[in-house]
Amino acid sequence: MKEVVRMFPITAHEHLAPKVHRMTVKAPVVAEKARPGQFVIVIVDEKGERVPFTISGWDTAAGTVEFVYIEVGKTTRQLAALKAGDELAHFVGPLGIAAQVDYFGHVVAVASGYGISALVPILRAYREMGNSITSILQAPDRERLFGREELEAVSDRLILAVGERGEEMATSATRPLRKLLGNHPREPLHRVVVMGSICLMRVISELTRPHAIKTVVHLTPLMVDGTGMCGACRLSIKGANRFACVHGPEFDGHEVDGWDVLMARRCTYADTSVHQQGFQCRGCSQW
Amino acid sequence: MSASDKAGTGLDEPGDKKPKINLNRVEMPKQSPGERKHNFEEVATGYTVEMAMEEARRCIQCKKRNCQQGCPVNIDIPDFIRSLQQGDVESASRILKSKTSLPGICGRVCPQELQCEHACSLNKKGAPIAIGRLERFIADWERMEGAVSTPEIAPSTGKCVAVVGTGPSGLTVASDLAIRGHRVTMFEALHVAGGVLMYGIPEFRLPKEIVQREVQYVASLGVDIRLDTVIGINYSLDELLNTKYHAVYLATGAGLPQFLRVPGENLNMIYSANEFLTRTNLMKAYLYPEYATPVKMGKRVAVIGGGNVAMDSARCAVRLGARDVYIIYRRTRQEMPARFEEVENAEEEGIHFHFLCSPTGFISDGRNNVAAMELIRMQLGEPDASGRRRPVPIPGSEYVLDVDTVVVSLGTSPNPLLASTTPDLETSRRGTVIVGEGGRTSKARVWAGGDIVSGGATVISAMGEGRLAASSMHAFLSDSKR
Ligand SMILES: Cc1cc2nc3c(=O)[nH]c(=O)nc-3n(C[C@H](O)[C@H](O)[C@H](O)COP(=O)(O)OP(=O)(O)OC[C@H]3O[C@@H](n4cnc5c(N)ncnc54)[C@H](O)[C@@H]3O)c2cc1C
Ligand SMILES: Cc1cc2nc3c(=O)[nH]c(=O)nc-3n(C[C@H](O)[C@H](O)[C@H](O)COP(=O)(O)OP(=O)(O)OC[C@H]3O[C@@H](n4cnc5c(N)ncnc54)[C@H](O)[C@@H]3O)c2cc1C
Ligand code: FES
Repeated sequence: MKEVVRMFPITAHEHLAPKVHRMTVKAPVVAEKARPGQFVIVIVDEKGERVPFTISGWDTAAGTVEFVYIEVGKTTRQLAALKAGDELAHFVGPLGIAAQVDYFGHVVAVASGYGISALVPILRAYREMGNSITSILQAPDRERLFGREELEAVSDRLILAVGERGEEMATSATRPLRKLLGNHPREPLHRVVVMGSICLMRVISELTRPHAIKTVVHLTPLMVDGTGMCGACRLSIKGANRFACVHGPEFDGHEVDGWDVLMARRCTYADTSVHQQGFQCRGCSQW
Repeated sequence: MSASDKAGTGLDEPGDKKPKINLNRVEMPKQSPGERKHNFEEVATGYTVEMAMEEARRCIQCKKRNCQQGCPVNIDIPDFIRSLQQGDVESASRILKSKTSLPGICGRVCPQELQCEHACSLNKKGAPIAIGRLERFIADWERMEGAVSTPEIAPSTGKCVAVVGTGPSGLTVASDLAIRGHRVTMFEALHVAGGVLMYGIPEFRLPKEIVQREVQYVASLGVDIRLDTVIGINYSLDELLNTKYHAVYLATGAGLPQFLRVPGENLNMIYSANEFLTRTNLMKAYLYPEYATPVKMGKRVAVIGGGNVAMDSARCAVRLGARDVYIIYRRTRQEMPARFEEVENAEEEGIHFHFLCSPTGFISDGRNNVAAMELIRMQLGEPDASGRRRPVPIPGSEYVLDVDTVVVSLGTSPNPLLASTTPDLETSRRGTVIVGEGGRTSKARVWAGGDIVSGGATVISAMGEGRLAASSMHAFLSDSKR
């Protein structure tokens, strides 16, 4: 009888910072079609949850795909315990629509958490189109700072926004951005792209709104299937229901009109604590 | 047994005294409502051999074979019942399997009351033969005996076929074509094969082990099943056609959930039935934390809709521990599309039915969780296109129902993913794929069937369409000029 289940071997597993890891997985079918800004869904074992991660790199020739993840709960802790040579039960992708890439001019990228690595393919593609890129890297402290070199390599300028011991997390990237906005339009910003916690993406979108600078965000509501079948990931964009897994995950931050609901839905299973780096509940409008 | 002996087999010699027909069917044992409310095990536990024989003996073997005509896949019902009457379950099984490869599934979930059993001659006078229960019995018997018969497979034709989607329609085409010697590869977006049979219909109506058995059976015919592969993403339809596949069958179902489009519908704790059922059944949230996927649910659950999907959602909610479960339906009991048997089961399990009302909005608890829903009462007006009387709102009749969880079950439509990446595939306004005779689509070498064509029907119709398409595809593949 044919073996129905096929496994996905881990080819590399790297520790980047406390609770932050990069995993490389052999999945030629996924690597073949991967584009910047798309994501995969991983299932660790046959009893596992379907968990989405943004693709942070791929190698079509080697047939590998990588993503950076933060240990926040059951599945990510399980992942952290795996070694190169171990296998994942399932690996589906590339899901979602690729990031829109074009010539915009001067692009400001705001990255925190896994977004630091997951933005790299998008910024590289922007760069190839001739854009100039200023990146703002947000981290809670020096110890948890990672991915600086990679981000630097795809940016014309890198600004570090390192918060003091995790205080004021959601706001530390806003300071350098405010400065840049102060010089706009003398030194114009043509586009802002943010990947990080939903709070951060919301705050940045509100900052740029008065300046009417197109701001794209990469939204991460809860997902189940990731193919448009369950509606768990639905959100409201300009009054219309959209599914983040098939219509996104990239959206215009100024068109998101249900941030509060989005955040509440995102926290369904968080109960009282959300441990994700860059996703601190302190001062969150939700709670 | 003795009672049925007296009832006669209907095979008595002419000249004998006309046998008295037993008008009452043998009841199938069920878990009591009090018990089953607390578990996900199968509600109906199936006939014993004795019960099956007794029920089979009620069949008068009439000449008309109305039951067979009532069956969408034309199963030789009188013949397998006759074998049962003779105590030959094995040949009954062979007869059954010559027309359906999924008897264990059909026996459980087909709406027999509208098909074969409806057509049964006894139906005019009393209870029709319990054909579904007998079908289930035969399939379970074969499974228990472990003597699964595999048909003979024709020599390889060298032709390759891709089947997209592993629901009942895809499985039917795959097995039909594999038996005829074609190389079949199935593609499935999810991590498990079986379609709605796995992610939608709950364990207590259709044990997943039975579905996986049938999937294994199809795989044992030499069919290659590729999970975690989304057509339209990993391969486009054209890529399939331009590489090794001579023909493609699309059976991707109707998986896109519909919403009400009323204010507050995105509040937290409002689920689509697809999400609620997928978490519960496919991901086995009822076994959380052994299985990693949770499903969060409160105590007062409203399920909106009146179909099988709504009944399944409500009955899952009961089993997951809800205190009050309401079915909210805008017409009356008579118009409910759910199977009568399932409505009855739901009632026995303590589910409250609210007829003639429709939600107009959802109210937040102040933290964006649903706390209540606003409803408006309806009355039935003129019949609509479906022939059912159209519900019309009664102005000023709004009222509020406190709920902390809502499951929206308003039906589904085909997922646009495949059609949107295949511009030359003709679809209707509702997103269903348009087909001609034998399931041929507007695109050369592409066939389609099941819910992607009907927009949502039944397991057996999905299989029936698959069967017709498989014949048409086989004729095409066998044409030597190709
Ligand atoms: C499109 C998309 C892309 C993503 N990309 C990445 C990525 O590249 N790297 C990464 O580390 N994480 C990413 N996430 C988030 C990641 O999916 C979650 O961190 C993960 O599901 C947590 O699983 P867990 O079992 O470890 O935690 P759980 O035990 O399930 O939950 C722990 C905490 O994580 C939160 N959480 C659960 N699901 C999600 C979710 N879907 N999104 C965000 N937080 C969630 C919960 O609210 C909870 O507080 C992405 C999410 C989406 C939707
Ligand atoms: C909760 C529920 C209860 C039901 N109860 C009954 C019942 O009691 N009796 C009855 O007769 N019918 C019932 N039905 C209806 C019945 O299940 C469906 O009509 C039937 O399953 C349709 O079969 P299908 O093969 O067309 O599609 P599906 O069973 O929907 O299978 C389609 C498959 O294709 C996969 N797929 C989708 N898109 C892609 C893609 N792009 N690439 C690869 N794979 C893809 C999907 O993941 C899925 O596995 C019920 C349905 C539901 C939802
Ligand atoms: S995750 Fe199910 S529809 Fe997006």
